[in-house]
Amino acid sequence: MWGVIKSVLAAFFGVQRDRQRREDFERGNPMAFIVTGIVMGVLLVGVLALVAIWVAG
Amino acid sequence: MRTLLVWLAGGLTLAGSSQMALASGWNMPVGVTDLSREIYNLHMAIFWICVIIGVIVFGVMFYSLVRYRHSKGAKAANFHENTTVEIIWTAIPLLILIGMAIPATATLQKIYDPSGAELDVMVTGQQWRWRYEYLGEDVAFNSNLATPRAQIRGDEERGENYLLEVDEPLVLPINRKVRFLFTSDDVIHAWWVPDFAVKQDTVPGFITENWVRINEPGIYRGQCAELCGVDHAFMPIVVHAVEEDEFDTWLAERQEMAAEEAMGIDREWEFDELMERGEGVYGSICASCHQPEGQGSPPAFPALAGNEQLLADLEWHKDVIINGVSGTAMPSFRTTLNPVELAAVITYTRNAWGNESGDAVQPAEIAERLQ
Repeated sequence: MWGVIKSVLAAFFGVQRDRQRREDFERGNPMAFIVTGIVMGVLLVGVLALVAIWVAG
Repeated sequence: MRTLLVWLAGGLTLAGSSQMALASGWNMPVGVTDLSREIYNLHMAIFWICVIIGVIVFGVMFYSLVRYRHSKGAKAANFHENTTVEIIWTAIPLLILIGMAIPATATLQKIYDPSGAELDVMVTGQQWRWRYEYLGEDVAFNSNLATPRAQIRGDEERGENYLLEVDEPLVLPINRKVRFLFTSDDVIHAWWVPDFAVKQDTVPGFITENWVRINEPGIYRGQCAELCGVDHAFMPIVVHAVEEDEFDTWLAERQEMAAEEAMGIDREWEFDELMERGEGVYGSICASCHQPEGQGSPPAFPALAGNEQLLADLEWHKDVIINGVSGTAMPSFRTTLNPVELAAVITYTRNAWGNESGDAVQPAEIAERLQ
């Protein structure tokens, strides 16, 4: 699970280690990445919205 | 290393000459409000950040090109990835962008906060003039281009404020927060006064806001900044910023004039009076399309001199002026002109340039029609 989160974070940042990438592709099932990606995407938007409210409010 | 220093020196020389270019009037003005000063400083800070980044990036690039060139026997490194370097060159721009976003957002917040204004001015864009209304003060007027047509045609020498002069400037007090409410009667215009750092689109059907608190009295000029038709260049903005007591006196005078004008609606006007007033209205409002001698510029702008439909049908004539003609360039003047001005300009166009209808249209009947 931690490996999946790390890979999603790496995708957000835009830099991934080649070794990690190869490991990810060995998993076979992309569902874990898709679900984690959506959840963390929503979390990112939520955090940015909170920061904006905190700064502007 | 010495080569790198040469490149850096070259970069700094370039930066120095751009400083000279800035001083020579190519840059945006510092302006006359606290906010315009802040926007200017922000602009310069970000400009210099870009210069420094540019000098470093191109310095390293040209240094590497020269120092490790093929003819000196340099061999290219051959590797696939370096995560550390990739993280660094992603993180540094991120930090720089956040560093620029913080002051920029702080300034934007101030720009978008018109609260606490002491005066509200409604600014309406029209093809091709500005209309200013001091909300709650019963003062409203049109601001038309004052540059003579002869200068535009090239028959006369251009004046000092060519295309940047108006018949009725917007008058504003210094040291007071003035809120602008922008809208448009026809197409999108943009009200732009560089010295206030205000450039705001005026959109038909929408109200947009901006505000200004002027620090120094003076005359500030601007232009429409959104292409809005053939006379886009002929709807300048002139703002007279005056001391506060001077502004109060001016506003009181304008209110008195507006009250007198309102009284004028009910009384009977002499034919000559209407003609004189109508000539002025025609010159500032109608002549840009229908031409000073009423000859028009067909097919878009029909001639008024000798226009048979106009001479035959007074009611149709009134309707065209008041409501405009949909699907053509003729706008409605219902709100732009008051009943006295409407009656005067109708009378004038029916009796000028050989049009001899003899009709005198009274402001009272126009006022009734406007109900």
